[in-house]
Amino acid sequence: MESIQQRLDELIGEFADLDAREKLELLVDFAHGLPPLPAEYEARKALEDRRVHECQTSVFLWTEGTADAARLVAEVAAEAPTVKGFVAILADAINGRPVADVAAISDDMLERMGLADVLGILRTRGLRAIVARVKRGFANHASAAG
Amino acid sequence: MPDYVHSELLVSTEWVAEHLSDPTVRIVESDEDRALYTQGHIPGAVEIDWAVDLQNQTERDYIDRAAFEKLCAERGISNDTTVVFYGDKNNWWACYAFWVFKLYGHTNCRVMNGGRKRWELDGRQWSTERVSYAHSHYTAQEQDGSIRALRDEVLKHQKAGKQLLDVRSPEEYRGERMHMPDYPNEGAVRGGHIPGAVNVPWPMNCNDDGTFKSAKELEKLYIKELKMKRRSPTIAYCRIGERSSLTWFVLTYLLGFGNVKNYDGSWLEWGNCVRVPIVKGAEPGGPAAAAAAGSSSPAVHA
Repeated sequence: MESIQQRLDELIGEFADLDAREKLELLVDFAHGLPPLPAEYEARKALEDRRVHECQTSVFLWTEGTADAARLVAEVAAEAPTVKGFVAILADAINGRPVADVAAISDDMLERMGLADVLGILRTRGLRAIVARVKRGFANHASAAG
Repeated sequence: MPDYVHSELLVSTEWVAEHLSDPTVRIVESDEDRALYTQGHIPGAVEIDWAVDLQNQTERDYIDRAAFEKLCAERGISNDTTVVFYGDKNNWWACYAFWVFKLYGHTNCRVMNGGRKRWELDGRQWSTERVSYAHSHYTAQEQDGSIRALRDEVLKHQKAGKQLLDVRSPEEYRGERMHMPDYPNEGAVRGGHIPGAVNVPWPMNCNDDGTFKSAKELEKLYIKELKMKRRSPTIAYCRIGERSSLTWFVLTYLLGFGNVKNYDGSWLEWGNCVRVPIVKGAEPGGPAAAAAAGSSSPAVHA
């Protein structure tokens, strides 16, 4: 199976030749594809510190799974389709693939998607914080498991 | 929407629904999350994004006059078009865009009361269709300095003990945090507020459905409780000038204050400046407080 970065490269590639409007439309498509939060996580929201405080919208992330099959579970507020679409892309690439791959996610994915110019500096910073949080979450998960 | 001093500047979702095909009207959406517009906008509405369209991408400033003219022309906005702004977050970016249009002298600007939230609550239709209009010709005015305060003016205003409003959250005002709760820190290195500034967090202007509070409620807050005077020069600020443009709109048009400026440099500038006075804590402090305490020496120094 392809690595997380290979899958991410495929997804990023879909953005490459689009104009700004098309990029946003594709992002919204991904946002619609993010599955609703599974019921068992609903109760955990209140009990666990899963909120991404660096991000400007309501985002909850769980970085779980086994060493061979990582699992990123997320809930993003409906009024934030940009963040929701971005998290959906990460979940697509990460889920079912080795946890060890997460650390290799390249830091320039927003530039390669051409989203930095479409979203501006401050929004881009918020999305970067999410990548950092996902990487940190899986690193902690791996060290706790191993 | 009676009662407000300039109630004609607020339109309802019903009014907008009735004017979707009116060639003299252009509906403009401005959002915090610009993909909301992509996901569904009012039929025929164009988008103006605060970060990408209204900001100069090189200098820290708004786009210049020529760029503003181009922005309008590309959206089919002429000098005599009635431009109606709406958006997410209780219309705060809508008010920001409204303010930039006023900065360049656009005459007919309106805000759709309640923004996206009210449109949704009213069960009105969203569209994902791409919108384009024949390009228009637009001639902007020079920037209107009467609604924009730059740093040196804020310093003078502050020293003179004039009306100053900090519309950020109480935590930001007290200096306990340098950004909105749950928002990224955009880089201020000091926390607190400008001496003398009174804290009126911007959500106090709005109802749960995104509409503005009634004239009576707003008057009670600003005039009765805070004893603010409509004729005294007033400067409002927040973090980057977005929330304070909503307060600027409320004071200027809903309450009829005569001289209100938005300090768009706001805390992101002030909190980074060398040797400007800052007060921490819940009290405004500043020249007025020093005078009230009978002190001959200023409580703060510049």
